[in-house]
Amino acid sequence: MKKIIALLIIILFTSSSCEKDDICDANTPTTPRLVIDFYNISNASVLKNVTNLKVIGDGMTEGIVFNSGASGDAQYLTNGSSISIPLKTDSNSTKYTFILNSGNPNPTLIDIDEVTFNYTKEDVFVSRACGFKTLFTFVPNNPYIQTAVPITKGKWMQVISVEKSNIANENETHIKVFF
Amino acid sequence: MKHTLKYFFSFCLLIVQVLAQAQETTETKTTSEKKESVSKIPEAPKVVTAKIDTIVPVKKDTIVPVKKDRYGVRVGVDLYKLTRGLYDSNYKGIELVGDYRLTKNYYAAAELGSENKTTEDDRLNTTTKGTYLKVGFDYNFYENWLDMENIISIGLRGGFSTFNQELNSFKIYDANPYWGELPWQTSGKSYNGLTAGWAEVVTGVKVKVYNNIFVGFSLRMNMLLFDKKPSDNFENLYIPGFNRTYAGNFGAGFNYTVTYFIPLYKKTIKPKKSVKK
Repeated sequence: MKKIIALLIIILFTSSSCEKDDICDANTPTTPRLVIDFYNISNASVLKNVTNLKVIGDGMTEGIVFNSGASGDAQYLTNGSSISIPLKTDSNSTKYTFILNSGNPNPTLIDIDEVTFNYTKEDVFVSRACGFKTLFTFVPNNPYIQTAVPITKGKWMQVISVEKSNIANENETHIKVFF
Repeated sequence: MKHTLKYFFSFCLLIVQVLAQAQETTETKTTSEKKESVSKIPEAPKVVTAKIDTIVPVKKDTIVPVKKDRYGVRVGVDLYKLTRGLYDSNYKGIELVGDYRLTKNYYAAAELGSENKTTEDDRLNTTTKGTYLKVGFDYNFYENWLDMENIISIGLRGGFSTFNQELNSFKIYDANPYWGELPWQTSGKSYNGLTAGWAEVVTGVKVKVYNNIFVGFSLRMNMLLFDKKPSDNFENLYIPGFNRTYAGNFGAGFNYTVTYFIPLYKKTIKPKKSVKK
């Protein structure tokens, strides 16, 4: 009899010590970023690497970190052919400044374009741990507004093509930029 | 939750003491009886030679513990749910418990409850309101001495709940927080007419502390059988009676109860075992 009581008490004390398991798994698809791929304007099917591209959000002082391993200004620069940038989840538009050849000592080589992305958003439930995520849909009429800085200079992004108007995950290219 | 655990543990310790005491007193009784009988034995042969009548009361002694089991209804409340509302402003609830003794070891058992709980998760704040009913049986595998009526049982329940959920506020998960910390967004969206059914395995203890008053606790492992989820864009995070939902459809719960036993009739137990021996 005492054994049974002891057993019950052991079960009781061990099972009541469970802890919260509310950590959002990093592999869970949550709010997707906008995926932009860069292509060669003279050969539209070939990816083209950018040189020292820096992307800064409107009103922000620091750029998006593309190279977290580097230190100083280098972490904001990318030389790849694809970038992923986060859109604002509390606004229907997000403005970014794309600076090509950022940090180049010769200012005439630095090209700056400003692009405002216009979209509608939808909040979708994910799980207890992750909460909600936001999915975006580009506004059909004017998904983006592009201006060169200064405006007299030509736009370095010569063609911007919206490939996917629904931004639901990061596994596909949403926008192609030709330069 | 810390409060809950603290009270729970202190209650467990209390129960353990009660159990230990209950056992000690009976053990001392039996040992004292043994002592008496032992002390009587050396006297016996002397008396036998003089009087034969003394054998008769000895025979009577073996018959005296005629065991009568009391049958009736036990009703009470779950103290945990009742008192939790005093220190947890996010919780209001009550659970009525009852059982009816069917046979020597089987009890029909039921719990009826109502809960109103606000859950604060890291990115969700929800309120669940609803009622539930659990019906099933307990099997008492505790062999009582003399007229003790303690219960150590294992049982099964079927549970059913109807409830509403309200999403008070939520946070968007942002794996790339470039635009800064995202604020809580208020929603106020409510999901009505939700239902759920589940099965419970219950282990419990009930100890008679005074006359017909029992205190007890039980531990429950729940398995969700079905639930009607919100129509779109949400899920059942808390089900009254079932408690918090986990990914694998499992849940857990417990209660500690104070119950009052209303005796209805008595049944005499034939001491079969002593006859065989």
